[in-house]
Amino acid sequence: MEKLTLTVNGKKVSAEVQPRTHLADFLREQVVLTGTHIGCEHGVCGACTLLIDGQPARSCITFAIACEGADVTTIEGLDDDEVMVQLRTAFSREHALQCGYCTPGMLAMARDIVRRLPNADEQRIRLELSGNLCRCTGYVGIVGAIRSVLEARKGTAAVPLPEKLGPVGSQGLASETVTADVKHEPKPIPPEAFAPTKIAPGPDLPMGKPATVINQSFTVHRPRPEVWAQFGDIASTATCMPGAKLSKPPEGGHVEAEIRIKFGPIVAQFQGELDVERDDAQFRGVAHGRGRDDRQGALVRAEVTYALAEVEGGAATRVDVTVGFTLAGPLAQFSRSGLVNDFASRLTAEFARNLEARMAGGSEAILPAEELSTVSLFFSVVWGRVKRLFARS
Amino acid sequence: MKPGPFDYARPATVERAAALLAGSGFAKLLSGGQSLGPMLNLRLARPDLLVDLTHIASLKEIRETKDFLEIGACVTHANIEDGLVPDCTNGMLPSVASNIAYRAVRNRGTIGGSLSHADPAADWVSTLTVLDAEIVIRGAKGQRRVPMANYMLGTFEVALEEGEFLEAVRVPRFSKSARWGYYKFCRKAGEFAEAIGAVVRDPERGVCRAVMGATHSTPILVADATALIGQGFDAAAAGALLDRHEITDAYERQLHVEALRRATVQAGA
Repeated sequence: MEKLTLTVNGKKVSAEVQPRTHLADFLREQVVLTGTHIGCEHGVCGACTLLIDGQPARSCITFAIACEGADVTTIEGLDDDEVMVQLRTAFSREHALQCGYCTPGMLAMARDIVRRLPNADEQRIRLELSGNLCRCTGYVGIVGAIRSVLEARKGTAAVPLPEKLGPVGSQGLASETVTADVKHEPKPIPPEAFAPTKIAPGPDLPMGKPATVINQSFTVHRPRPEVWAQFGDIASTATCMPGAKLSKPPEGGHVEAEIRIKFGPIVAQFQGELDVERDDAQFRGVAHGRGRDDRQGALVRAEVTYALAEVEGGAATRVDVTVGFTLAGPLAQFSRSGLVNDFASRLTAEFARNLEARMAGGSEAILPAEELSTVSLFFSVVWGRVKRLFARS
Repeated sequence: MKPGPFDYARPATVERAAALLAGSGFAKLLSGGQSLGPMLNLRLARPDLLVDLTHIASLKEIRETKDFLEIGACVTHANIEDGLVPDCTNGMLPSVASNIAYRAVRNRGTIGGSLSHADPAADWVSTLTVLDAEIVIRGAKGQRRVPMANYMLGTFEVALEEGEFLEAVRVPRFSKSARWGYYKFCRKAGEFAEAIGAVVRDPERGVCRAVMGATHSTPILVADATALIGQGFDAAAAGALLDRHEITDAYERQLHVEALRRATVQAGA
């Protein structure tokens, strides 16, 4: 817990907060000002909008501790505000609210529009209000209410804008705070927490239909029998995957491994197992995998199929890979499939590069897995860039 | 949805920030928190330590020379929108700033935070690429500079080494006759862009650049776009660029080509 001092609705407030407590929770739970509503809690719906240093901001994605010394105004602090008095009357008259959940955020934004943009027309009002969602009345009444207040105030000049540079809430002080001397040890999530979807031993965990399917192809400049043999050496091949290392030596087609994946701020470390079946006649293989990341509270199930085809008259081999996977836990919320696909193609390019390097060098040249996992992500992005450079010219 | 526990540091100087970053486990920099905040709340990101840069005075400063404008990392989109930052781009910077997300987000979101997060759909990623801006990077060993086109390496990946952070951006000054165009497609105002077209034509400085942004990776930059937009807009050439970057989806291609065409028209080409 850290000490926090700030001004809320004109009164100085001192409290102890956890660094992870966001401003909306702090106000609702510790200052007991429940007029600030929490909707989506990731900055999309606008319900939690309030004023920080006099300007509208999202309190659900602003940490309370980052507001040391700031001046916070909630809906409760605007009872006697001249513009707010007009807006409240107009909202009632125009039926601009029904359940009222979005209303504190709507009013905070409406006040900002009226003060900052006295000449706003309907289109501008709608644009400025686009970050606040209402799910019951729609927006006709809300926009009408704001228009009527603008009309009533016609001729009033815009209120001067803040003159200080930097995020609102950051102007309060320049003194240093470091809470990092005491380390929080994140508690691993007990396996029982995942009981309903607990990883079953053995290769016959029903996969179901994977939530995400990614197809990738790459060419290895080696004849197919050599590539097929390389894929048969599961330990060597698996550790060509960036960030992967084996937990223990493979037994037959059964592998226990861990893989660390870093995608910007998203870092996951899965531990799991993989069972590989190979069809020598068809040069095809299928691997079923299961993994968990206790820190993230994430589970993954994956099915990887690969097929080897001869190209360039047998001198090279095209590897077609299909990865189907289903994630459970917080990571599953990341829904931007285009970005995930791009990331997967970078991983694949890096895997292919490692594989080729390993085959070219023979067994002596095998890099230790740890080394691969630390350097590989850097290489994968550089590799992508080099590829694009050539693509451009 | 509440973030997992993390430690928090609020250094007062860039030197202290660099030292904190160098000596920690999985640390993330926090600026306005408008991209990282949602990822923390959703528990997509689980850092051990957040280093809050927003109380460092030098990161909220502006510096002007005859060739460029230097904007501190913690200057907000709203600061640029409101004209608190002098404009050296004949209106391009404030115009782009005023259409980033929503006002309540722009009051905290910063230019440095956006560029370091490196979401391909972010406006500053495409804008500073087309402007040929320079990124000023601070680390324990001091300062270095890289062109924006070499700064972003891929989605969420930038050329920051361990312990480094973005200190400022340098935007070259337009000449008086320079023209620009910027167009983005979003499903809804303020949402992630699906395609961004950006054009700068400044014959006095010998500059004719175009960018197709909001791809699934780094923006597609045409550093010499004379052939692409010099004699009107060459849609076939734009399509060929998309081919080379393996953008095959017909809907995406249409958006990218049309966004660039509209930006080109706006730039008077």
